Amino acid sequence: MQVTMSNYLSKQKEVLKNLVKNLSTDHKYVSVLAVDTLGKTYSAQKTGVAIGDSSWTERGFVVRLHNGINYSEFSFNELSEKNLNSVLKEIREKLTNDIEKLKSSSVEFNTYPVIEEEQIKESFFGNVKILPQEVNSKEKLERIVQIKDNALKCSEFLVDFKVRYEEVHISKMFISTNKDLEQSYIWSQGYLIPIVRKDNDTKYDVAGFSGLQGVEILDEMESNFEKVINNAVKLLDAKKIVPGEYDIICHPDVTGLIAHEAFGHGVEMDMFVKNRAKAAEYIDKSVASELISMHDGATSANHVSSYLFDDEGTIGTDTVIINNGILKTGISDLLSSLKLGTTPTGNGKRESFERKVYARMTNTFISPGNDDLEDMIASIKEGYLLEGLMSGMEDPKNWGIQCMILQGKEIKDGKLTGNIVSPIIMTGYVPDLLKSITMTSKDIELFGTGMCGKGYKEFVKTSDGGPYIKARGRLG
Amino acid sequence: MINNIKNILVNSKNIDGWRVVETKTESSELFFVKKGLDMNRAKNVHHFKVTVYKDFEENNTKFKGSSTTNIHPSMDNDEIEKAINDAAFASQFVKNKFYPLVKSHNSNQPIIESVFSKAPISNYLSDLTAAIYKGDTYDKGCINSSELFLDKVYTRIITSEGIDVNWNGYKGELEFITNWKEDSEEIELYENVKFADFKPEVLTEKVKEMLYRSQNKAITTSTPSIKNTAVLLTGSPAEELLNYYYSQSNAQQVYEQISTAKVNENVQGNDVKGDLVNLKLDPFLENSTESRPYDASGFPLKTVSIFENGNLLRYWGDVRYSHYLNIEPTGHIGNLIFEGGSKSIEDMKQEAYLELTDFSDFQLDPLTGDFAGEIRLGWYHNGDTIVSVSGGSISGNIKEVQKHMYLSKELQYNNNFVGPKTMQFFDVAIAGV
Repeated sequence: MQVTMSNYLSKQKEVLKNLVKNLSTDHKYVSVLAVDTLGKTYSAQKTGVAIGDSSWTERGFVVRLHNGINYSEFSFNELSEKNLNSVLKEIREKLTNDIEKLKSSSVEFNTYPVIEEEQIKESFFGNVKILPQEVNSKEKLERIVQIKDNALKCSEFLVDFKVRYEEVHISKMFISTNKDLEQSYIWSQGYLIPIVRKDNDTKYDVAGFSGLQGVEILDEMESNFEKVINNAVKLLDAKKIVPGEYDIICHPDVTGLIAHEAFGHGVEMDMFVKNRAKAAEYIDKSVASELISMHDGATSANHVSSYLFDDEGTIGTDTVIINNGILKTGISDLLSSLKLGTTPTGNGKRESFERKVYARMTNTFISPGNDDLEDMIASIKEGYLLEGLMSGMEDPKNWGIQCMILQGKEIKDGKLTGNIVSPIIMTGYVPDLLKSITMTSKDIELFGTGMCGKGYKEFVKTSDGGPYIKARGRLG
Repeated sequence: MINNIKNILVNSKNIDGWRVVETKTESSELFFVKKGLDMNRAKNVHHFKVTVYKDFEENNTKFKGSSTTNIHPSMDNDEIEKAINDAAFASQFVKNKFYPLVKSHNSNQPIIESVFSKAPISNYLSDLTAAIYKGDTYDKGCINSSELFLDKVYTRIITSEGIDVNWNGYKGELEFITNWKEDSEEIELYENVKFADFKPEVLTEKVKEMLYRSQNKAITTSTPSIKNTAVLLTGSPAEELLNYYYSQSNAQQVYEQISTAKVNENVQGNDVKGDLVNLKLDPFLENSTESRPYDASGFPLKTVSIFENGNLLRYWGDVRYSHYLNIEPTGHIGNLIFEGGSKSIEDMKQEAYLELTDFSDFQLDPLTGDFAGEIRLGWYHNGDTIVSVSGGSISGNIKEVQKHMYLSKELQYNNNFVGPKTMQFFDVAIAGV
């Protein structure tokens, strides 16, 4: 079923064009991004259930204009034909006042050229099997409650079993003098979280489901709860790892985490502008094993961060970041590309219409290789198969990496022993880790649950993944 | 607009209660690269969050369903009615154990003072910028970039039970990166400061401290693999660990069996060798963005003691989960005040130690008690000399290390957290480089 554009935005289009036209009389560049995102979250656990709007829900506008020196932005969420003049007055007063007050103090200003745009009019409407409005809230809630009830029968160690399903319908419109863009698409995601306890020891696992899907994602969730419960119960017998360097095989979710933290954040080109990215010095140089190629882009995969245009009206692309171990280029928002003299890659994203654009990842992954997982395991004398991403943190300046991983499955003499260590922190120097990769599996998988932050804020939707990879890693 | 929403709710026949939380936010934001202003932003946004409640009974058991929806100021009456009707429809299937709503009250809550209330927030931008860059005067180090956010937030809560309260609050945030270069490659450190009052000297001091740390990070050696050495966690890592006790004493966490903490028992166990935890929650903490007179349900907040010498005095929580546990509610309070401990930081440094201040992302999992982080900056004192170190990681479990930990007498003040600046441990794993 095709996803339809927000009626509200469609009705506002002429007002938005008038707003741009009016502001363009005294600014050389003006654009407006309009957003209308609808979403619901359904959750169930032993002690209760909940239905509410998704935290991604928003409706509002952000105007960007060239102020004669650089760019200013104003976010607002009350606009109609009637109040257009008062909105225009407020934009002019607020942005001008702030700039004038700063000019009269000793604040310095960085300069940016005026954005030059080609004329373009395009639209994109996604497709899902079952639209959210086709199934009522009663049925969706009943299905996740049933998953929870079935799951709670599966193990005596279960303290709770949490189920969460979220559907998000995004509509965006970008209007400037030369651009007229529209898009509307749906992604959904779900989590199954068993919490188990033995004596005073508590463990949990998380199974995530995500994609450019509608209600059909519930089918996947319904058929996967036993596996995640079994895994959580096994964690109750997990040992602590002895800190050290090991041969490792990374599950595709951990491969994705490495791609994301190691070279995803490291090539966000607003970091190049700030001289915060070591990657800027390594373009066309070796940064990883020759087995490694890495992509990012709205069109690099069909997943939760696939779109026609980004939040600055730049058409999405597929960027080859690393090609056979050689760092080729970064991913860029529009203003960073203006500053650097490069081509924007359609990676300018906002947390919401209320926040600034930064260079952000979309769908980031390492390309598949030629090896079988069985051969990879057989090649290790002593090491771990790492599985279950918990979190990660980037260090684009100094290329450190931190990956929090749920578990390591012990490998001895080429075989999984059934022993588990948990949790694991993997740290190290990014090129050391990527250059140590000696095998990559044939298939890849992408994961789009969760959120990606810039530092500790500005959370956006991304997906990442890759094949199984064999490497050498420092674990603690 | 709020009266319009209220009228629709009052006339809705399918619900038994409702709550509207209205917020109006005005914001001024500055983004700097080096000392140059790269972009300025402002916003003026208006939000309404509506919760509807539906009471029902099955097999002589009472339930309360609820559903929450966002009402945008641009919605017309038809859209508002549809959103509320959808929420009302959903709420009848949300089968939660019954709980009462917060009743109307005549509490006379204190006003939370802020200098920012005396003028438009944009008037403070120049002075705050000057304070941030005041100490940026070194040849080898500087502020790489900074982002300054200043919000004025008006909040009003009205409910079907007659609650109608409102207040103004201020939220400031400074994120900045510092660089330093000695003989090896240039390094950076990250800091984020939140504030609610105009105290430019606090920002100046924070920048000064981060430049000092950056200078030390620029000359680090690799963290050694060490055993049987005391580990000192200073600053935000200590805050992250102590937040565990806030989580453990929360009524919802207890009701959902995530927390196993019991009232009148020592949360740290019965054979503790080191310091014991003392915690109170203060909704009116100065310069905190979490200070407020009422929680999101309109419940009037006041200061409460939670832990005394490790002993859990009471759980804290909202009306719903307090009702489930049959305890008096405290409301949701977001400011934590921990007492200092028995040792000064100087006492803690009398023998060999590894002091850690900066991590890539130091995290404690409140469910399992596991904590870990990659080390970005620390100081290793082997008994004779001190060197700054980086790399490697630390890991442990709070349920194990809390039996033998010490809290510094010196306190740190970090937005909604007041507590020991440094914590001393003896049984955490260090993975050196």
